[in-house]
Amino acid sequence: MQDKKNSENKEIICSHCGHVNPPGTQLCQSCGKMINENYDKKKIKDLMRYDGSAVRSKVKSKSIFDKIWNFFTSIKVGVAIIAIIAIAAAIGTILPQEYFIPLGADPLEHYTERYGTFGMLYYKLGFTELYSSWWFVLLNGMLALSIIAASVDRGVPLYKSLKNQRAKKHDSFFRRQRLNNTYSSTEQTESVVKGLQDKKYKLKQDGNHYLLEKGRLSRWGPYINHTGLIILLVGSMLRFFPGVYIDEVIYAQEGETVSVPTTDGKYYVKNEAFTLDTYDEDSGTVFDESLQQNKEMTISNFQTDISFYENKSADVIGSKPDLEKIDDYSIRVNHPYVFEDYQLYQSSYDNSQLKSMTFRLEDKDGNTIGENFEVNLDEPADTYEISEDININMRAYAPDFLEIDENGTLLSETPVPSNPAFVFEVDNGEKKELSLLQIMNSTDISEGNEYKIKFVEAEEHVATVLTLKKDLSMPIIATGFVIFLIGLFIGSYINHRRIWINGDGDSMSIAAHTNKNYYGLKKEINSVLEANNLDHMNDKEEQDKSKG
Amino acid sequence: MEATFLSLSNTLIFIAFIILLVALVPLALSIKSKAKSKKYEKLAIGMIVVAFILELSYFIFRWLATGHAPVSNMYEFIAMFAIMLIGGYLITYHYFRSKVFGLFAIPISLLLLGYGSLFSTDVQPLIPALQSNWLAIHVITVTLSYGILSMSAVAGLIYLLKAIPSDEKSWRARFLELIMVGLVIVATYIVTTLVMKEVVGYNDEFYYTDQNGAQVIAEYHLPSLVNYQDAVPVEHIGNNEYEPTEHFHLGIDLPPVIKAHSLNTVVWSIILGVIVYGIIRLIIRRRIFSLFKPLTKKVDLVLMDEIGYRSVIIGFPLFALGGIFFAAIWAQMAWSRFWGWDPKETWAFITFMFYTIFLHLRINRGYEGEKSAWLAVGGFILILFNLIAINMIVSGLHSYA
Repeated sequence: MQDKKNSENKEIICSHCGHVNPPGTQLCQSCGKMINENYDKKKIKDLMRYDGSAVRSKVKSKSIFDKIWNFFTSIKVGVAIIAIIAIAAAIGTILPQEYFIPLGADPLEHYTERYGTFGMLYYKLGFTELYSSWWFVLLNGMLALSIIAASVDRGVPLYKSLKNQRAKKHDSFFRRQRLNNTYSSTEQTESVVKGLQDKKYKLKQDGNHYLLEKGRLSRWGPYINHTGLIILLVGSMLRFFPGVYIDEVIYAQEGETVSVPTTDGKYYVKNEAFTLDTYDEDSGTVFDESLQQNKEMTISNFQTDISFYENKSADVIGSKPDLEKIDDYSIRVNHPYVFEDYQLYQSSYDNSQLKSMTFRLEDKDGNTIGENFEVNLDEPADTYEISEDININMRAYAPDFLEIDENGTLLSETPVPSNPAFVFEVDNGEKKELSLLQIMNSTDISEGNEYKIKFVEAEEHVATVLTLKKDLSMPIIATGFVIFLIGLFIGSYINHRRIWINGDGDSMSIAAHTNKNYYGLKKEINSVLEANNLDHMNDKEEQDKSKG
Repeated sequence: MEATFLSLSNTLIFIAFIILLVALVPLALSIKSKAKSKKYEKLAIGMIVVAFILELSYFIFRWLATGHAPVSNMYEFIAMFAIMLIGGYLITYHYFRSKVFGLFAIPISLLLLGYGSLFSTDVQPLIPALQSNWLAIHVITVTLSYGILSMSAVAGLIYLLKAIPSDEKSWRARFLELIMVGLVIVATYIVTTLVMKEVVGYNDEFYYTDQNGAQVIAEYHLPSLVNYQDAVPVEHIGNNEYEPTEHFHLGIDLPPVIKAHSLNTVVWSIILGVIVYGIIRLIIRRRIFSLFKPLTKKVDLVLMDEIGYRSVIIGFPLFALGGIFFAAIWAQMAWSRFWGWDPKETWAFITFMFYTIFLHLRINRGYEGEKSAWLAVGGFILILFNLIAINMIVSGLHSYA
């Protein structure tokens, strides 16, 4: 402990070159000599990671702030947080999340009924809304703190040390590098340096000391990608603010014009036509075989043709909408309609509501008389002409039949035509017959009816279901992820390579370091050395291996 | 014309399969031979290159036949993954000249192709959600990244095979053997299913009510051990009509939440795989992975570690790009949300997190060599889990593949 305490406060003066280093420095920032022999070598294999400079979390651990800082900067803690998030995410896929269960179903009932006790427990533990649960959000928040702390902790010293690099390094620094070699003559120093410069290395020279460097940007990759992640995480929190995220459903029957929610009546959308196309099973294409095998029709297209209107009197309270058409569009899956910050998506359709029913009149021998007649269920007519002398009058109508009340009228449960019932009067000029028609049922009201009214077909209303979305957090999240990707590619695809050459005195020493891909670095230097008829670099790891 | 392209593309991938299978012989000989001549190696690599070109031609001709990128169903996706594995190997060979690598990468690719062909290989027209340029962009990037990430698993596997003594009484040796058991199970599963379905033509149909209350027919290509509650054995009498009949059934009935016919296949695979493994064990009287040890004799562990790490470093950004970013853009356009915690999305996220952990442990905590090799193998298992198990067990939005 005594050692640590001292190292926390004291600046370290390099015994070799006299440079004053900040507390906790491992390798002298000037000449690269190891100046902290007590450093825990097991923990970080490669002292060069942060160029041997002081990392705050490894130096200070006294105050509460230090302790919190050290907690969040710890890679162990960071990895643990990532692992817990991943495991939690996996648990969330065991059963479907609540937004996947049928709309309107009672979740507890649903999960218990389908998945038994396990389902009930799963629901009660809150796993059915796991990804929006407070603890999942908290974990992500902790991840953000960990990323910030770790990046600052290591990024700042790394920046300082890479900025202040010197070409002149201590002999021990050369020996410590994985790739190194010493040559008996200094004659070819210039030529080697030139060869490396041709390979796009930047030169820093201090007398006969050379530092050749390229790809330093690679070292900033992790910090760039972490910055991106922070932006992404912050962006995803913005949804908690009202108005940032809107997710609404628009339901419009064919021909219906509805106001676009959340726009304060400024915009209206009209469903001009909804189309549902299926693939032809006998089109003579290569798909016929699989289409014929499939028991259901394969859908080729969902489409809503819309007219888009702006309400010119939206600002005037209580006034009638004054609609001006501003656009036509065909909304299809993968092709949403975009206006302002909103998008309108094709979500699904609904054909459960009846539009019209067609009937025919039959005499007692079962012969059809006259024309079929169609009843518009939204606005039924009073009289239908069947033939020259026969009319059918509608005496009563209930769109959603409930019961017949005392005075014989039909009661409707709702105004929606989902279960229509009619009382029809057949009038042939001589006699009037009454009958009650319901779905799948018909009853004579008057006695001794000669005619029968038969159901022919029904047509449904096709309503389109559109999803209205506005997500102002999306550009921020996307920017964050793009920055993350750029950082990731920079960090992964570029290699930071440094070569130190000491041509002072009788011999030439070369040492090389890279943050990754020693294989490539070795190949590169060796090609230059070969051109100068010099031996290849020694690789410490290879030597270790041959020893073992 | 399209029909010709289609049959041509099917023939091409079949020939490629055979060539890859045969190429294993000269490749194995090139490792054994002490002669300096590289004729076996050249022959093997030549064959692999030809097979890879044929596989790419399969891809192009199938595209020409259907008019869309052939990555729209399970078979096409797995085939693409298998092709990218060969591509990944060729890239690795180009840089590191590793031959033994191919002896592991090629069989894995062939197993995948075999597994993929268990699904319907018919071409299907695209449902509306798939009608997008992002289909090609998203899937090709993902499979490419899978192909490269798989190389790290191959490197890891070779590393472990060499580093772990086969007679060692340790957990690491047992785990490695367990991986071998897994491979035997998968191989047995593919062979039995192909034989029962294509050669024997075994097909028992059962009529049951699924969890959404729909009446469905389950096809059993292996005798029923586990089945759905109240399933009725039926027979197809043509025209989509079925008649009750008698089929073998062991008698384990499960609620419709569990996909019993998938589970049935899994149970059979495990039983048969373990039997096959047992027989091999009885014959050779030592751990199976000892059989592969001679192949790894000349393997350079440092190089394997290097390949393993570099594959992750190259594959991971591509995965983040294709599997997360492109995926999110497309999801936003097709499903109106860029992220929705659908099971497939979630497991892509878990895969992403796993490789994040891999990189942090490797870079900051010195997880090199064996530890890194285990993680690489684990990542591959995770990829396979997302590819196979998620589609088998859970039905999400990615039901097509």
